[in-house]
Amino acid sequence: MAGDSLDIRSTPPEKVSLLAIDHLRVDFPTVVAVNDLSLRIEAGDVCGLIGPNGAGKTTTMRAVSGLLELTRGSVRIAGRELASEPDELKRRLGFMPDFCPTYDQLTTTEFLEHFARAFDVPNRARRIAECLELTWLADKRNALCEELSRGMKQRLVLAKTMLPDPQVLLLDEPASGLDPLGRIELRKLLLQLRDAGKAVLISSHILTELSGFCNKAAIMERGRLVQFGTLEELSKHAGGRRMSVKWRAGADRAREILQHPQVTRLELTDTGAQFDFAGDPDALDELLKTLVTQNVRVSEWRPAGDDLEQIFLQSGAKELM
Amino acid sequence: MKLFANPIFITQRRLVHRAGVLAAAFIAGLIGFCLLLGFAGTLHGPFATQRGAGEIGKFYYGWIVGLEILVLVLGGFSRIARALADDRKAGLWDSNRLTPLRPADILIGYWLGPALREFYMAVVLAGFGLLIVVCAGLPLTLWLGTQLLIGSTALFFGLLGILAGMVFQRSQGGLFILLSLFSFPFTAFAPGRMISNFLLPTYGIIQLFQSAGRAPGQSAMTPEWLAPAQTFGFAVHPVLLSLALQGLLGAFLWRALARKTAHPFETLLLRGEAVGLFSLLLIVQQGLIWDIWQGKYPALTLVGARYPQEMPLLKMVHGATLFLGLVLLGLASPLPERVRVESLRLGFKTVGAVFSRSAVSLALALAVIAGGLFATHFIFSLADNWLILLAVFLNLTTLFLTFALLLEFCRLRHGRRALGFIGLWLFALCALPFILAAVFANAGFAQLSLLAPGFYALADSGDTNWALLYGTLLAHAGVVLLLYLNWHRQWQRLLTQTA
Repeated sequence: MAGDSLDIRSTPPEKVSLLAIDHLRVDFPTVVAVNDLSLRIEAGDVCGLIGPNGAGKTTTMRAVSGLLELTRGSVRIAGRELASEPDELKRRLGFMPDFCPTYDQLTTTEFLEHFARAFDVPNRARRIAECLELTWLADKRNALCEELSRGMKQRLVLAKTMLPDPQVLLLDEPASGLDPLGRIELRKLLLQLRDAGKAVLISSHILTELSGFCNKAAIMERGRLVQFGTLEELSKHAGGRRMSVKWRAGADRAREILQHPQVTRLELTDTGAQFDFAGDPDALDELLKTLVTQNVRVSEWRPAGDDLEQIFLQSGAKELM
Repeated sequence: MKLFANPIFITQRRLVHRAGVLAAAFIAGLIGFCLLLGFAGTLHGPFATQRGAGEIGKFYYGWIVGLEILVLVLGGFSRIARALADDRKAGLWDSNRLTPLRPADILIGYWLGPALREFYMAVVLAGFGLLIVVCAGLPLTLWLGTQLLIGSTALFFGLLGILAGMVFQRSQGGLFILLSLFSFPFTAFAPGRMISNFLLPTYGIIQLFQSAGRAPGQSAMTPEWLAPAQTFGFAVHPVLLSLALQGLLGAFLWRALARKTAHPFETLLLRGEAVGLFSLLLIVQQGLIWDIWQGKYPALTLVGARYPQEMPLLKMVHGATLFLGLVLLGLASPLPERVRVESLRLGFKTVGAVFSRSAVSLALALAVIAGGLFATHFIFSLADNWLILLAVFLNLTTLFLTFALLLEFCRLRHGRRALGFIGLWLFALCALPFILAAVFANAGFAQLSLLAPGFYALADSGDTNWALLYGTLLAHAGVVLLLYLNWHRQWQRLLTQTA
């Protein structure tokens, strides 16, 4: 299991643009797969790349990693152009695809050794053991890759991606094959990466799983970036966050107070309400204080649903699985 | 990077060893041992006095050589192609490309790693071969020369295996067999004159066998395999010619493969590489037959010719030139999508800019090179035979241009169904006239084929209807013009859409 004491080599968590994508365009024979996409991810950022099927998430990741040709635009890693210094930057960028390319007849250790040699990783054996431990595969170090389940293979490929200690990680659907426990561990690992100052761009269909650790989100639809920013910025842009409140007494007073100028889409029930709040967090705190001081006996006060889910739904993008 | 530190090589070696190599080596050992026993038995049997130890040794060593070629060249090619195609399919090729490994390191790993089992088998067989050669009292140069040629051919075909693995999705043993069958008829016909006998070093190996243990001038079973190879009249040892040819072509191939590994979006062959490869193969081939006419075609000047009077070699070379040109045009022709993306990136909007990137201009270049090299056979007889040379040149030009235009037009017009339409058009323009000639028992139809005029001109024996032949060529030029107009329109449409 991933432990807190494990070594994810730290990069100073300064706010520098580790990944800068400018006006990225990728063309396929009959469609513009990604069009004019620009985003910046800084050290310590975990950015969720979300969008419906065919939005261009995987294409974006493959283009940024160098597997697809850019029609236009540029990708910079820590300020250096990927197109002009590809070999140097290969060590700084780790890409985990949405499938699991492994040599089935090699053991997990041999598989990682292959890539450790390719990346010329110092202290190979130690680093391999660390990465196996980080991805909770330590007890599978002598297992053949073909004996692993899909989730385990996915973790092995994640271990391979982390092997050269890249500054920028591109993770395409990393949790799709994981069981619930695996997803919890992945979340812990991503939080560790965030704390170590890595920049992570992660795509997923499962928004609840992203919201626990993402501080930024990029929403794509039909190859275009519909929205991009910190979750707070996006919440604000989406017209505020949706809140849920429940009370045991003082319903009439509560209904009056909720006729607040910054409250919209109010849905009242006998024992509570759901509403969008357009103000800032301080104003929201003030609203709660008013309810309490006006003798409304509030028994529950929380965001309704998930932040990312709300942002996504309000962005207008469709066809999310 | 050293070979034994190369991760791709290490992994491929692990995979081969994990699947087992001992059984294969034992099989090779048992076969070698049986042949050694057979040699020893024959040596002490009733035929020994008739044939002598040397000839018996050659017979059994010949089996060893044949098996080595089968295992190392055919088996190695197939193994390398499959390993690479499988890794591409699994996404491991891309994973390796995303590491800081140089393209050359990746290629070396795939070149030398997957066929290790076949290599071990060949080494065991070669060991038994050495025993037979020594016991039969044959010169060691026979063993060294044949092993050198087998090794170089295995390496050359290993590169072809990488190429097949990069281009196709499945193992291409079938392709190899087809190519071998294609070259087989040329192997037996005028053996020292066909480049295929030097690329697959048949001539060198047979000559080593023929000359081993014989004094110069002593009669051999097949004397036509004993003459040194001639390139533009200069004698070259066939082993050296094979090694040089494989080395040069291998260098071209290596360069193209390394570039394709680094930039997978580019075409397999750059225009310069296609021109270089085409020139190299044609220069060697024309050089091999040059001394038959020595620039005075069609008059045979070879004193005491070993060949029949109606030597069809130049026609065969013309056919091979057409085939090679079409293959290279296919490999170097850019996909319209690539050109469109380039036009978006660089901002060009004219068909003129497309022309310089398309295979059409390459077709013209190849036709000029081929025509120039054909001209070497007409240097001293041009005044009387310029009509033949011009017809050959025009035939090359129209066929290459038609193919290049058709390829791009169909890709632009029909997208994914392009291959079928290219096949249809080529069938109509090249094969249908022959079918009509057979159906109506009228040879005149055959002359209409895009393939035909060059062959008709080269078969001239004084009764050729030149007006009809040039009329046909004019009609072919009309086909080219029509195709060009449609090609131009399709490109213009695409560029307009892109803009």
